[in-house]
Amino acid sequence: MAADQRRVSEFPVDVDMDPAIRLAARELRADLVRVHPSFRFEEALAARLAAGAMRLRAGLRVEIAEAEVVPATPGTMSPFPSHSPAAQGDAVTAMSPAAARTEPQAAPSASALRRLPEMAARQSRPLIVGGVGVASAAISIGAVYVAWRHSHPASGRMGRAARTAHGRASSRRRTGVINGILGVVS
Amino acid sequence: MLSRAKEGARPARLDRDRGLVEAARRDPACFDALYRKYLAQVYSYAYYELRDHHAAEDATERVFMQALAGLPKFEERVDDFIASRSVTTESGPDSAEISTFRVWLFRIAHNVVANERRRDRGRIVTPLEEAAELSAPDDVAESAAAREAFSAAWHAVARLPQDRRRAIILRFVDEMSTAEIAAILGRSEGAVRVLLHRALRSVADDLRAHLS
Repeated sequence: MAADQRRVSEFPVDVDMDPAIRLAARELRADLVRVHPSFRFEEALAARLAAGAMRLRAGLRVEIAEAEVVPATPGTMSPFPSHSPAAQGDAVTAMSPAAARTEPQAAPSASALRRLPEMAARQSRPLIVGGVGVASAAISIGAVYVAWRHSHPASGRMGRAARTAHGRASSRRRTGVINGILGVVS
Repeated sequence: MLSRAKEGARPARLDRDRGLVEAARRDPACFDALYRKYLAQVYSYAYYELRDHHAAEDATERVFMQALAGLPKFEERVDDFIASRSVTTESGPDSAEISTFRVWLFRIAHNVVANERRRDRGRIVTPLEEAAELSAPDDVAESAAAREAFSAAWHAVARLPQDRRRAIILRFVDEMSTAEIAAILGRSEGAVRVLLHRALRSVADDLRAHLS
């Protein structure tokens, strides 16, 4: 109430005489609501500011994501976490500032950079991914081989001999079965 | 912060954020209190100017990071601000509301948002009517009416020239005094009063046309 009084007193003198302007001011005060960001964003930014405060306390500069969008350089490699300390250092320095600028939310803040070696030190699981890949490849190769064998019968002498022997044996077996059923004694 | 900008002027009152600012300068971790206090205001300003939640979040982040980084230089800038303007030392209802930190923070926000708008000129943005949904009550009819009213008010504001629109947003969304708006926009108090007056007259005309 007091704030309203104060605001009204600050408006130009003829506000009191012009009810339309007073009405417009009332409308705007009621309708232009203050918007609050999401809780998630608020906490994330608070964490980034806390990390920045720690850097300031340590005498370091606060890293601020730039506003301008820099087009991504073609062929830019993303850093991949590695176990070796040297590679970790490379990964931290290899983070392109251009990439950081294009996505301020994903910018490598101080806390993120501090977390990077920790993430790299975690147990990676290449065997699970590799195992699935190898199994899938083996099944595919086996299926392709069987299909190829069916469509390409062996054409060498040994192949012909094996087919002949197999054919004879199977025809003899079939004849024997039929004779047995019919009761024919040879 | 007692200061005299000119002879014969009354001494300025204590900045209401003085304690928090001093604490943050001693220990940057205390900046969190200032951040929590002004987050919604800065975010709202950015959101109403940029009309996009993501852009507003980015701008808000940059504003607070720049404020944290520039906090050690804050005093000098405030001295400059006081020396260049006499608003804080004059009598009137404004002086009790002056927060030099808020003025300084919104100057940063003003620059960040201006850069963002320059950068994103021509980009398709989300309609600001979404803001009405954030605070809309559960009642559907009431919600629709509120959205309609918001839409009319906002469209009237959106049609204003940039400087008038900014003055209106700072005034009605961030509830700033004329002196603070003048300091942020780099204009005299008289110029801001004229800006607000003209802006309100335009909005009134628009609302009248909308109703008829």
